[in-house]
Amino acid sequence: MEKKEVLIEVKDLYKSFGKHSVLKGISTTISKGEVVAIIGPSGCGKSTFLRSLNLLEEPTKGTVLFEGTDITDESVDINQMREKMGMVFQQFNLFPNMTIRENIMLAPVKRKIMTKEEAVKKADELLERIGLLEKADAYPAQLSGGQKQRIAIIRALAMNPDVMLFDEPTSALDPEMVGEVLEVMKELAAEGMTMVVVTHEMGFAREVANRVIFLNDGMIQEENSPEELFENPQNQRLQEFLSKVL
Amino acid sequence: MKKGNKKRVILYVAVIAALLIGIGVYQYYSHQAAKKAAEKAEQNAVTCVEDLVGKKIGVQIGTTGDIYASDYEGDEAGTKIERYNKGTDAVQALKLGKINCVIIDEQPAKAYVEKNSELKILKEEFANEEYAICIDKSNTALKEKINKALAELKEDGTFEQIVNYYIGNEEQQGKNPYKKKDVKRTGTLTMATNAEFPPYEYFDKGTIVGIDADIMQAICDKMGMELKIENMDFDAIITAVKSGKADVGAAGMTVTEDRLKNIDFSDSYTTAKQVIIVKDAKADAKASSFKDSFYDNFIKENRFEYLVKGFGNTLLITVFAILIGVVLGLLIALVRTSHDQNGSVPVLNAICHIYLTVIRGTPVVVQLLIIYYVILTSVQNKIIVAIIAFGLNSAAYVAEVIRSGIMSVDHGQFEAGRSLGLNYQQTMTSIIIPQAFKNILPALGNEFIVLVKETSISGYIGLVDLTKGGDIIRSITYEAYMPLYAVALIYLVTVLILTAGIRYIEKRLRNNER
Repeated sequence: MEKKEVLIEVKDLYKSFGKHSVLKGISTTISKGEVVAIIGPSGCGKSTFLRSLNLLEEPTKGTVLFEGTDITDESVDINQMREKMGMVFQQFNLFPNMTIRENIMLAPVKRKIMTKEEAVKKADELLERIGLLEKADAYPAQLSGGQKQRIAIIRALAMNPDVMLFDEPTSALDPEMVGEVLEVMKELAAEGMTMVVVTHEMGFAREVANRVIFLNDGMIQEENSPEELFENPQNQRLQEFLSKVL
Repeated sequence: MKKGNKKRVILYVAVIAALLIGIGVYQYYSHQAAKKAAEKAEQNAVTCVEDLVGKKIGVQIGTTGDIYASDYEGDEAGTKIERYNKGTDAVQALKLGKINCVIIDEQPAKAYVEKNSELKILKEEFANEEYAICIDKSNTALKEKINKALAELKEDGTFEQIVNYYIGNEEQQGKNPYKKKDVKRTGTLTMATNAEFPPYEYFDKGTIVGIDADIMQAICDKMGMELKIENMDFDAIITAVKSGKADVGAAGMTVTEDRLKNIDFSDSYTTAKQVIIVKDAKADAKASSFKDSFYDNFIKENRFEYLVKGFGNTLLITVFAILIGVVLGLLIALVRTSHDQNGSVPVLNAICHIYLTVIRGTPVVVQLLIIYYVILTSVQNKIIVAIIAFGLNSAAYVAEVIRSGIMSVDHGQFEAGRSLGLNYQQTMTSIIIPQAFKNILPALGNEFIVLVKETSISGYIGLVDLTKGGDIIRSITYEAYMPLYAVALIYLVTVLILTAGIRYIEKRLRNNER
């Protein structure tokens, strides 16, 4: 495998809420084009780790370098960094008072990345791609969960991010809608998008990820290629975890 | 007609029918009660000064009548003093049998009795006294000038001319009024008065006239100054002169020891008597028809204009107070929520917190008085004072309403905005506040409705709003029923229109989503 450009570098990351420490020293790098799946039991700090990558959670200690810039440095304009880091939430978080098209256009226009006309074009292009162009003028309440999550993904894509962060994107969906969302994510991966995905979908992790990180008790217990990690787990806790979920 | 509509119409008709029956029953019983009250009044009749003991005596608050009558208060016989803001209120209470007599200055008493045939003045007078103009203690120069002018007016007969015009004998009355002299004027002299005290000061066709008004005009003509008359409650006059809101007070004011502690007086310009008004048992109250009453209260001398002008002021105050309330309220809410979210701006947050505590912890009428008499002493425009007072008050309530609205928006919305690269301000203005606004619209509408009605206390600083407009009509016609119902009806219709407007906006915002 050729040596790839490093996109995100996490160094010795700690995070505690009051006395409760959630992350206890995490270090890892994410290279360009990589798809990293993060798995682990609930409460292990997966989401907190992911949300630390774009500083939705401010780390107690440690640094996060994104494209060589230390984003935990207070002098860095975090908003400018976040423009390049798309995020998709478990609960979709579409803006209910705006149409689908307005949802997608809002950030590119407000951040002056595109003119209104360019943003309309971009939004319609993305909607076309996921086959939801006819919903452009609908409101989020009129959509199914799967449709909402696909919209949330392209809303993040509209900013042309360098990396996409997914926080349990299918956990709030009815089972029959999980497929359509994973499908969009697979396409993205195939196009070479760098992705960090917190997920319970082991099938997806195995099929799409280049690397799987097993988090437990605020620390990385094991990281490896999906084949190795799933077929030949070394860590005892990982073995227990896999025996429960597989 | 749709089924739902039919049901609603039946409901309305039923409610109105119930109301009418209720009013009918109430009228019957109140008629019976009035009969009994009349019998009781007969027993409680006051016929001389000695009879006052153990009775209910009505006075105008802060007048000498009040001061003298208060000597009776708390005696063994249980004499009660009922203090009214205005002489006319006391007279109305007397007419309704709520009190046994009214002690008040002779001249206004004459005016009241002339207009109310069922009242009479007792022959035996209660007390004698002298009227003078009050001036701030530090303003000795003005006092000397006024005394000099007064002396000249007495000398050259102007004084007699003015008094005769109002209360002279039949030949003199209404003839030869004092005319404003054509002299060079520098500066303005503001006179505080309580224009519900005929013939000394009262409203006639929208302007304040009377003996005091004419005397002050004559004094100003002598001194070469412009006269400006400010109307307010009687017990506010001395405060107004002391605080510099007015230069002098002229309102049939008697020199008393208590008053001298606070304020200085000119030489006295007239002597007057305190007399006792009672119900005349012989004269029957003539019931005026609805039509006559309507004509008297609204049509005659274009009296409805008091309501129109007052309503205009009420609207003006409400609209601008809402504007101040919403803008300031939003700022406070933003400071408070951003502090709640990330602990920034601790100093601003503390200031906002104190502001909310003070404003919500004190009555709005006290705030209005403080702003008028203590803080904005140099602002003469009462409407501006009222707008500021009600705006500042409303802001405190609006702030909490908006804050609750912001908190009601799911935190995920905030994170979604920030994760897309929007900064705090962009996230608030384009994502959170529009959603919060929709959530709080009913509560906000409620606040506006409260505000419309709250402005009815503007009369406390002598501002003629809708309520005060109705009060002025009441003080002219001595009728409570018509002006009060008219004022209530106008408020009701205003609130109904406001409610409909809010409901319309609410509906439109909801339509967007489903």
